[in-house]
Amino acid sequence: MTSTVPILELDSVSKRFEAVRALRRVSLALHAGEVVGLVGDNGAGKSTLVNVISGSLRADRGRILVDGVERQFAGAADARRSGIETVFQSLALIHSLSITDNVFLNRELFHPGLLGRLYVMDRRRMRRHVMEGFEQLGLTLPPPETKVAALSGGQRQAVAIARAVLWGSHIVLLDEPNAALGVKQTEIVLSFVEELKQHAVGVIFISHNMQQVLRIADRVVVMRLGEKVFDGPRQGLEPEDLVALITGARQT
Amino acid sequence: MKAALGQEGHNRPNSLRGFPFERREAGRSPGGASSATGRSLASRALLRWAENNGLFFALVALVIAFAVASSRFVTGSNITVILLQVSVIGVIAVPGAMLVLAGYVDLSVGSVSALAAIVFGQVATQIHLGEGAALAVALLAGIGWGLMNGLLIAYAGFSAIVVTLGGLAGAQGLAEVLSGGITQSNFSNWFLYIGNGSPGGVPLPIWILLGAVGIGAYVWYAMPFGRYFTAIGADRSTALSLGINVRREILWLYVVSGLAAAIGGIVLTSQLDAASLTIGQGEELQVLTAILLGGVSFVGGRGTLFGVVIGVLFIGVLDDGLVLVNVNPFINDVAVGAALVFAAGLDVVYRRLERVRRSMELPPGDAGTAVTDDK
Repeated sequence: MTSTVPILELDSVSKRFEAVRALRRVSLALHAGEVVGLVGDNGAGKSTLVNVISGSLRADRGRILVDGVERQFAGAADARRSGIETVFQSLALIHSLSITDNVFLNRELFHPGLLGRLYVMDRRRMRRHVMEGFEQLGLTLPPPETKVAALSGGQRQAVAIARAVLWGSHIVLLDEPNAALGVKQTEIVLSFVEELKQHAVGVIFISHNMQQVLRIADRVVVMRLGEKVFDGPRQGLEPEDLVALITGARQT
Repeated sequence: MKAALGQEGHNRPNSLRGFPFERREAGRSPGGASSATGRSLASRALLRWAENNGLFFALVALVIAFAVASSRFVTGSNITVILLQVSVIGVIAVPGAMLVLAGYVDLSVGSVSALAAIVFGQVATQIHLGEGAALAVALLAGIGWGLMNGLLIAYAGFSAIVVTLGGLAGAQGLAEVLSGGITQSNFSNWFLYIGNGSPGGVPLPIWILLGAVGIGAYVWYAMPFGRYFTAIGADRSTALSLGINVRREILWLYVVSGLAAAIGGIVLTSQLDAASLTIGQGEELQVLTAILLGGVSFVGGRGTLFGVVIGVLFIGVLDDGLVLVNVNPFINDVAVGAALVFAAGLDVVYRRLERVRRSMELPPGDAGTAVTDDK
C-alpha cells in the first residue's frame, strides 16, 4: 500500500567535499511499506546519502521532507526524533545485557506509584512489551531475558531493527546489514525486513549483494559518481543489469 | 493485524510511556522458546551458575578448609569478627565495583580514608568545632575529593588510573601535612559508638555494611543505573549514542566512592579511637582484589553485586583463617596478592566458560556465523 505522500523525500540534494561532488542533485522518494534497494560502487555516494538522511551530514543544497514536511537535521539525534533510524553494522547493542535490557536501554519503564517515584524499574512490563512487540512484528527470538551475546548474528540484527521500529521509527536505513552474515542468518534479516512492509515502515536497504537487493526491494536506486543513474521497480531487473548500471557500462 | 506502529509513533519524544503500539492481552508469548533438550538445558544452567559463581565455590572450599584446620573458625564470635574486619572494604567496594563495571577505577580510596580520619581529628581537637561538625567536615572532604576525581576523569578526560593514583599519593600527603604527624585521640563516647557499638547485638559497622550493600543493590538492580554502568563499560560509544549521560553517571560514582572512603575512615578512627595516618593503608588493594575476585571484569561491562559480596567475604575469610591457623602475618599480604592474580585468572576462565556455553546455546549451524564479541 503506497500512500500519496512519501514518508521520506529528497529533492535535489547536493553535497560537496572540497573538490569532490559526493552528491549531485539527488532526488528520492520512499513510501510507507516500501523497501528501496540502494546500490552503487564504493565512492558512488551511498554513504554520503545515508549520512545526509540520518542527520550525520548536512546537505549543501536541496530539501529533505519527512511526511511531506521539510526538515533540517541538526544531528543524528534530531533525525531520530523525526522517526529516521539508521541501523549500522555495529548495531549499538550491549552484549552482556539481555534482549529486554537492550530494547529499553535508557528508556526504562518504571513501576506505577511510589516505587516508580523511587525509580524502580518495572521489569515484567518491559519483558511483556518486548514479547508483544516482537510477536506483532512476526519475530521469533529466544526468550527476552537471553543475553544478546548468546544470539546469532542475524538475531542481533533483528533485535536492533525491531528496537528502532518499536520505538516509533518509520524510516529505517539498513547499511550493509548482511555483510558479515551467513546464508541462514541473512534469511532471518531479509524475511524480517519483508515483514516490516506490513507495518507501514519504509526501508532503505544498502547492499553490495545484488541477489539480496533484487529479492527484497520493491524499487532499486543505482548511484554512480554522486548521481542517481537509475530508479525503477525491480520487476524485470537482473543482477547483470544492476552491475552494468553501477559500473556505467549501461547508461539510462 | 494492523499495528499502530509508526503512525502516531514517530513524533514522540523518548518518553517512558512504552511502545506506541496498541496493547493486547497476549497469552503466553510464542517467544520462540529455544529448542533445547532437557539434558543440554541442565548442563547449560550448571555452566551458567558456575560461570557466575565460581568464587562462591572457592569461598565454600576455603571455609571448609579453615573449619577443619581450626575448631575456633566456625563460631558465632569469629564470624562476627570476619564481618567486622571486612565492613570497611565492603562499604567502599560497592561503589568501587560499579566504577570497575563501567570501566573506571578509584585507587585513591585508602588515602581518602586517611584524609577523612585526619580531617575529623583536626577539626574536632584543634578547631574545637565539636565532633558532630568534625564528622560532617570529614565526610565533605571525601565527597570533595571524589568530586575532583570525577571532574578530572569524566569531564576533563584524564585517565582514571593516573588521576586516582595521584590521589593515592596526594590525599595521603595532605593528611600528613594537616596532622603534622600527630595522632589525635580520646574522642567522646558517642563517636566511639560508631565503630564499637552493637545495636541489636550486631556491631554497627556491620549494619553500615549491610546498608551499603542494600543501597547498592537498589541502585544496581532496581534503578536503571546497573545497566547504564554495564553499557558504559562494555561499549562507551553505544552508551553515548543511546543518550546515556556517561559523564554525569561517572562523576556521581566518584563522588559516592569518595564518600564511602570517608565513611570507612571514620569507622576505623572510631574503632581505634585514633585519627591516625596509617588508617586506610593498603585499602585500595584489598577493595580492588575483592571486586575482581567477585567477577567484575577489569575491562568493564560485566559483574554482579552478589559476586562482589562474595569477593569481600573471601578476603575476610582468608585473612581471618590464616591468623587462626597461625600463619606468619606477613604471609597475609602474599595471600592477598596471590588472590588478586587468581582473580585475574578467573576473569579469563569466566570468558572461556562463556564462550563454551554460548557455543552450546547456538544451533550447530549458527555457531560459526555468530559475531564474536571478545575484546
